[in-house]
Amino acid sequence: MRSVFWYLREFLRVPWIHAFLFAKTAPLLTPPYFREYPSLTDVECTHCFSCRMICPAPGAIEVLQEGGAWHPVIHRGHCLRCGLCVEACPEGVLSSGRILRWQEEDRTSFHATFHIAVDHTKCMRCGNCCVSCPVNKEQDPQMASGGHSSNDEVIMKIAGGKHTVIHEDRCVGCRTCEGACPNSAIQVARILEGLQGVAEG
Amino acid sequence: MKKVVDVSIPLGPVHPCWKEPARVKCETRGEKVLAAEVELGYMKKGIERIMKGRPWQEVLFLAERVCGICSVIHNMVFIEGMEAVSGIAVPDRAAYLRVIVNELDRIQSHLLANFSFCYTIEHETLAMYLLNTRERAMDCLERITGARVNKAFMIPGGVRFDLRDNDRAALLTDLDWIQNEVDRYTRMFDTGPLIATRTKGVGILTQEQARIARAVGPTARASGIAEDVRLAHPTYRKLNFAPLVRMEGDNHARIMLRFGEIFQSIGLIHRCLSDLPEGPIRGGGTCGAGETVSRGEAPRGELSYFILSDEYGRIVDIAIRTPSIMNIDACTHFMLPGVTSLADVTSVFVSADPCIACNER
Amino acid sequence: MNLLQDAKNWVRARSIHVAYVDVGSCNGCDIEVLACLAPRYDIEQYGILVHNNPREADILLVVGAMTPQWIDKLPALWAKIPAPKAAIAIGNCPISGCVYNRRETYILGPVSKYIPIAAEVPGCPPRPTEILSAVLSVAPTVFRDYEVKRP
Repeated sequence: MRSVFWYLREFLRVPWIHAFLFAKTAPLLTPPYFREYPSLTDVECTHCFSCRMICPAPGAIEVLQEGGAWHPVIHRGHCLRCGLCVEACPEGVLSSGRILRWQEEDRTSFHATFHIAVDHTKCMRCGNCCVSCPVNKEQDPQMASGGHSSNDEVIMKIAGGKHTVIHEDRCVGCRTCEGACPNSAIQVARILEGLQGVAEG
Repeated sequence: MKKVVDVSIPLGPVHPCWKEPARVKCETRGEKVLAAEVELGYMKKGIERIMKGRPWQEVLFLAERVCGICSVIHNMVFIEGMEAVSGIAVPDRAAYLRVIVNELDRIQSHLLANFSFCYTIEHETLAMYLLNTRERAMDCLERITGARVNKAFMIPGGVRFDLRDNDRAALLTDLDWIQNEVDRYTRMFDTGPLIATRTKGVGILTQEQARIARAVGPTARASGIAEDVRLAHPTYRKLNFAPLVRMEGDNHARIMLRFGEIFQSIGLIHRCLSDLPEGPIRGGGTCGAGETVSRGEAPRGELSYFILSDEYGRIVDIAIRTPSIMNIDACTHFMLPGVTSLADVTSVFVSADPCIACNER
Repeated sequence: MNLLQDAKNWVRARSIHVAYVDVGSCNGCDIEVLACLAPRYDIEQYGILVHNNPREADILLVVGAMTPQWIDKLPALWAKIPAPKAAIAIGNCPISGCVYNRRETYILGPVSKYIPIAAEVPGCPPRPTEILSAVLSVAPTVFRDYEVKRP
C-alpha cells in the first residue's frame, strides 16, 4: 500500500507529467570538429587537380570551369568526408571541420610524385590519353585526336607511331587518362608522402 | 551418421537480433540444439580484388571499410604493414597517438558488443545505458580524428592530426565518466540474478575446444588462452601490456572479459597520455616494394594482412585474415551444440561478437 | 476525407515501425542506425519503433552496397512489407556503391534498380542526426492520405 502512495506522489507531480508528455532530447547539432562535406572558401582555385589526385572515392570530386573561374565540385552520395582533398589543396580552397586550421598549426602537407607507365602491348596509339590530359590541353591547345603534337612541352604525345612520355614531372595525377584509355593500357602511379614542417611547393 | 532431429530451424539472414545478415541453421530435438551450421556469403563485395593495383591512399579507405566497427585497427595494421615493407619509421608521438585512437576504438567496439548481447537477452535498460556510454567514446574519437566511424587517421609515417591540449582535457574527463559508468554497469551485469540465468553456464567453450577451433580474441581469452597480439607490438610493450584472462568460457565470462578490457584500455590511454612525447606527428617517407605479414589485435581477435607491393607502393597482392571467422567456427561447432533452449542460440551467437562484414569483405 | 479518417491518419503517422536490412555494408552505417536508438538521439521519442520485422514495418532502411546474394531476396523482402511503405537508402553504398564501385567489384548497385527508394541519406556513414531527420521527414508522408487511397 505504501508503495502505491509512493508511486502516486512521484508520478502525479505537475513537472513529471509535463516532462512525460513533452520531453524531447536537446536539439542535436553537428559539432564543429566533425569533418563535414568540404565547402568552398573564398580563395581562388588554380585547378592544380590535387584534390582529384588524392580523392579515394570514385566520382566524388570534379574540378569544373564555370564562367571563367575554376572551382571543385563535391558530389554527395559519393564523397566519403575523409578530408584528404582539404589537406592536399595547396591553396586552401576547400574547408571542412577543423582540418584547415590544424593543418596551418601543425604545418602538415602531402607531397606527391607520379610515374606514368604504359603497357605497349595493350596500347593502340589512339592518343585519347594525350588529348584528354588537362595539362597537355594547356601546353598545346591545338592537339587534336590522334595525340600528335609538334610541341615538346607536353607530358606525353604519340610520336613516331609510339606513345612517348616526355615530361613526367608535369603530371598532376588527375587520372583523366586512365579513364580515357579504351584498353586500360596507361597507369599513373601516385606516390604520396605525408610531411610535416616542410614548406609547401 | 545421420542425426535424428525433430526440426531444422533456420535463423536469418534477416533476423531482429543480428545486425548483419547471416543464416544459422539449428538442428533441434525439442528445445535442445544438436548441431548448428552457419551460412555466410551475403556481404561479399570483393574488397581484396578492388585493392589490387591501387596506392595506399585508396587501399587505406578500402581497408577501413572491411569493417566499420573496428575500422581503426584495419587502418593501423595495413599502414604498419606498408611501413614495414618500405622501411618508414614512425615518430614516437604518432605511435602513441595511434595507440590512443586504437584503444578508444576498442572501447566503443566492446561497448557495442556488450550492448548487442544485452539487447539480445532483452535486458534493454542495461543495453541502452551501454549505448549511451558508447556515444561518449564516439565523442572522444570524433574530437581527435574528426569523424565518428571511418576515421582515416593513420597514414604511412605518422598520423593525420595532432592531439590538442583542450581535446586532451576533454578526453580525460570523458574517460573518467566512462570508467565510472562502466564500473556501475559491470556490477549490474555481474550481480544481476536474471542475467545470471541467461549467461552463466550457457554456451560453454572449454580451453581445449578453443584451441581446436583456433578461437581468438576475447572469445579465446574468456576460455583461458592468454593470447594477445598486442604483446608483440613495440608501443604496447613500452606500456607494460598484459592480457586479461578468464577461465569459465561461458557467455558471462565473455561479456565480463570485454568489460574488463574496457578498463584495461582506459588504463592504457591514461599511460599513453602521461608518456606522450613532444615532437612531430609525421615523419614522411614513400612506400616501396616488398612483402610482409602485418598483425594486430582487433577488438575481436587477431587480424593479419599479407601485403605484396610494387616499387611505386601499389598493392600487387593482398590477403586479409579477420578474427571473426575463427570465432564463428568455434561458435557453431562447440558453443551452439548442447544449448538447451532455442532462445539461447541468438545470445550465444552474439556473445562471440561475430562481425559478418569482416568475414566476407 | 472525414474527420475520423483524418484522425486515423494522424495517429498512424505518429507511430512508425522501422525495419532495416543490411545488403552488404561495412557495418559503419549499420551501427549508426543502431546509434539512433541510443538515449542521446532516442528515435523512439518521435514515435518511431525500430522493430526489424518486415511484416510489421512501414519504413525500410536499406544499408549497404547491393551484393549478388540480395538480388532476389531484397525484392522478396520488400513484397512482404504491407502497404503503405517507403524505403530509405542510408549511406553512400546504396546510392552509388561508395568505394566498392570499381571495375573489379562484385556489387550490383544501386539499390534503386531493385526497389523504389523514397529518400537518400548520403554520407559514409551519415551521422545519426542525419538518419533521424531523414526518417522524420519521410514518416509523415507514408500515412498522410492512406485512408483515402486505401482500396
